[in-house]
Amino acid sequence: MNGKMKTARFAAGTLVALGLAWTSSAQTLRLPPHEKVTLKNGLTLLLMEKHGVPIVNLAAIVKAGSVADPAGEEGLASVTAGLLRKGTAKRSAQQFAEDLDFIGAEFGAESGVDFTSISAEFLSKDVDRGLDLFSDALLHPAFAQTEVDKMLAQDIDGIKAAKDEAQSVTLNYYYGYLFGKHPYARSEGGDEISLSRIKRDAIASFYQANYAPSNTILAVAGDFNAAQMRAKVEQALGNWTRTGSPQAAIAAPAVVKGKRLLLIDKPDSTQTFFAFGNIGTAVNDPDRVAIRVVNTVFGGRFTSQLNEALRVESGLTYGAESFFDSRKEPGGFAIYSYTKNESTAQAMDLALQVLARLHQDGVTPEQLASAKAYLKGQFPPEIETSGQLARRIARNEFYGLDDDEINQLEARIDAVTPAVAKQVIEKHFPGDNLVFMLIGKASEIEPVVRKYATQRDARKITEPGFWPPPAK
Amino acid sequence: MTKRRIVLRRALSALVLVAVATTGRAQDSKQQFPVATKTLKNGMKVLVQTDHSIPNVALYIFYKIGSRNEHPGTTGISHFFEHMMFNGAKKYGPGDLDKAMEANGAANNAYTARNTTVYQDWFPRSALNLIFDIEADRIQYLSFDPKKIESERGVVASERRTSVDANNAGILDEQLWATAFTAHPYQWPVVGWMSDIEHWSLDDLKHHFEMGYAPNNATMVVVGDVSADEIFQLCEKYIEPIPQHAPPPPVTTMEPEQLGERRLVVHKEAQLPLLMIGYHVPQTNSADFYALNILRTVLVRGESSRMYQRLVDKDQIALEVGASQEPDLDPTLAVFYAQPKQGVDPQKCEAAIYDELEKIRKTPISDLELEKAKNIRLVEFYRQMRTINGRANTIGTYEVFFGDYSKLFDAAKNYGAVSKEDVQRVAQKYFGANNRTVATLIPDTGEQGSAKQ
Repeated sequence: MNGKMKTARFAAGTLVALGLAWTSSAQTLRLPPHEKVTLKNGLTLLLMEKHGVPIVNLAAIVKAGSVADPAGEEGLASVTAGLLRKGTAKRSAQQFAEDLDFIGAEFGAESGVDFTSISAEFLSKDVDRGLDLFSDALLHPAFAQTEVDKMLAQDIDGIKAAKDEAQSVTLNYYYGYLFGKHPYARSEGGDEISLSRIKRDAIASFYQANYAPSNTILAVAGDFNAAQMRAKVEQALGNWTRTGSPQAAIAAPAVVKGKRLLLIDKPDSTQTFFAFGNIGTAVNDPDRVAIRVVNTVFGGRFTSQLNEALRVESGLTYGAESFFDSRKEPGGFAIYSYTKNESTAQAMDLALQVLARLHQDGVTPEQLASAKAYLKGQFPPEIETSGQLARRIARNEFYGLDDDEINQLEARIDAVTPAVAKQVIEKHFPGDNLVFMLIGKASEIEPVVRKYATQRDARKITEPGFWPPPAK
Repeated sequence: MTKRRIVLRRALSALVLVAVATTGRAQDSKQQFPVATKTLKNGMKVLVQTDHSIPNVALYIFYKIGSRNEHPGTTGISHFFEHMMFNGAKKYGPGDLDKAMEANGAANNAYTARNTTVYQDWFPRSALNLIFDIEADRIQYLSFDPKKIESERGVVASERRTSVDANNAGILDEQLWATAFTAHPYQWPVVGWMSDIEHWSLDDLKHHFEMGYAPNNATMVVVGDVSADEIFQLCEKYIEPIPQHAPPPPVTTMEPEQLGERRLVVHKEAQLPLLMIGYHVPQTNSADFYALNILRTVLVRGESSRMYQRLVDKDQIALEVGASQEPDLDPTLAVFYAQPKQGVDPQKCEAAIYDELEKIRKTPISDLELEKAKNIRLVEFYRQMRTINGRANTIGTYEVFFGDYSKLFDAAKNYGAVSKEDVQRVAQKYFGANNRTVATLIPDTGEQGSAKQ
């Protein structure tokens, strides 16, 4: 199927919208009631009843993401998460899959930058079996050598397969180049070289150090009675005792000064995929709502300034957008688009002009009002389901955000004035300091993109790793 | 492959398994998700489901026109036309539609497929009147600004470069359908051939509009914070006055029976090969639909499935194996695909897939597998029904492809009736060598010479 497909979506948590639920009488959006309990072993449990369809969702956060990977063994957190379901003390990998699939349940475990997410979804009638599978994977993974070998081999080939599709690795290269030596430069899944270095012992040690009740937040949302669910969770996870290491603090990444450009050569490319920007903002940034409103005007929806210029008015691309990929410390900001080889410079020049115009002219009151209405109108479906709600409250707990993040959202959006927008543009949107990353046919586009930066670097997409080039 | 950083959602969802299915507790679900219906005087059917859980609405309009109604020379015109539906009518000129919607908290999108073009609006209920005003305007008075046609041509070409040129699965899937179908219009891609994208004319667009965009060729589905009465009243005001006219002429071409295996190879710069195998199967509303769905579930759904266990886990020759069958009004393809590991000959994956099919052709699946597949269908039903958006799409899909939305609630009974023998019978009937087309992408490493192992 081919769609108009408005704004491209970034899966890396970029456009994680805030969600809410609705109480029609008050005309304000509020989170459904939920409770927070700390179990005796230190695990933080969040419970939210959400009836409608007979589904239960579990969303756990273990406070160790790719930032906890040892240098040279990037991907360790990711591989550890992936192996949780690949055999436990009492189930083989195959048995786990059989038991899970028999009830039509889903189980997922993957590491992000700041934390690892482990989730499950099943029908409410299967809650005992579902909880047993979830706790079995979380508490008793076996890390059998044969499964370790299989997963590492698959992940290495998976990266090569991803590189065959340029747009799927754009952010790996861009963040590598933007963050440099900072841990946020890492690809969560590692690379072809770092994965080949990972040994079973390192996985088991990583698990022992980080997977502990005191390091874990578990949100349960869905069709159940909260008191009964609490008892069931206590039974399933209450005996889990391990003292994990607390998360090590990391420094805030420094804003990049000057201009630099990385060109990744993919010789068969008919389009150039480009991202440019600088360091963005942290999840807890006090300006976060205003940034969201301004970015909606600039590059966060179909009628954004960027998409209007590059798609609607000129037909240079199928989509152009901008986003703040916020993390515990400031994450990346990027302007992203793609265009045919011949129009590479034309599209990039235009995107730069739109950015310069943002600084020069700001946003009009009309654009601001529209963006505010748009954000409020598109908000409710973001936490419509128990799965969305469970992930949302677990994430808020991790980042130390309270319920006002949702309950006060409309008021906070309404409070963004043209003066606030002006400050946000000056403070958070990059000006002359820019990091550029392009994937395309170097023999055609290299001569025309030299002008963007005097410091330039290049690699072939088939060379192992992203950026910086891994030490052999 | 959840661990790689995916930047873009795929526009061409060739590999999406469309599971329109349910099982068990049919009566319960019918009462839980009631639908009100009305056929307008001009022939448009309207389906409404009320749900006040969020203050929002999902509105879908399904037009029964797609690449199936096209001809060589203007392939992809349905999809291009879909883009033009956002580029100006009488009251809302170029750019006005998107600006008005977003300023009122609404978002929109659309997709074109082989049989349908579907328009989607998601909005707070406060935007209800605006949405009807816009939809009525563009159904009646679409205008074609020559400047917009040219810039949109560039947009669609960029879409094709992304979804086909820069996507190995996209290019292989396109070649597979072009080879498996020799007579029927399913042979060309929905996005269209690049040379056709470059040559559509204003007249082609006007003709397409006159042919396909009759109210009597459309179904509207509205789900969310609305009442059926208010939607029917809005329809009477905005939609009913639009005159009906002749729908698209019937597609009479039938694909002749395939009498032997067809093979094709794509050489492309890549690190990993790719494999797709397509088998001709009947259209969606055939009696075998349910048994085929159960068969596919047993073969590829989840890590306990037969093909995952065989190719990914035991033989370790593939990273991923899957299967898809999209909704279609005419006989179509069931497609198996595998992502072989680097250096693995795709023929090894091919042989393993045939072997797994052969096992089911010889020996029925187990009772446990049948029960598992039916359980999975039940959970999938609730997954589709848990959002207003999922419901609007599912209700409309059943209405268009089964001819009656209420088949959604009969699916329970139909899945329940599938036996192990039925699954074996469809495996024997459709998954033989003479009925298949095999597409392989072979990595071409360019100036480096032979592929590294």
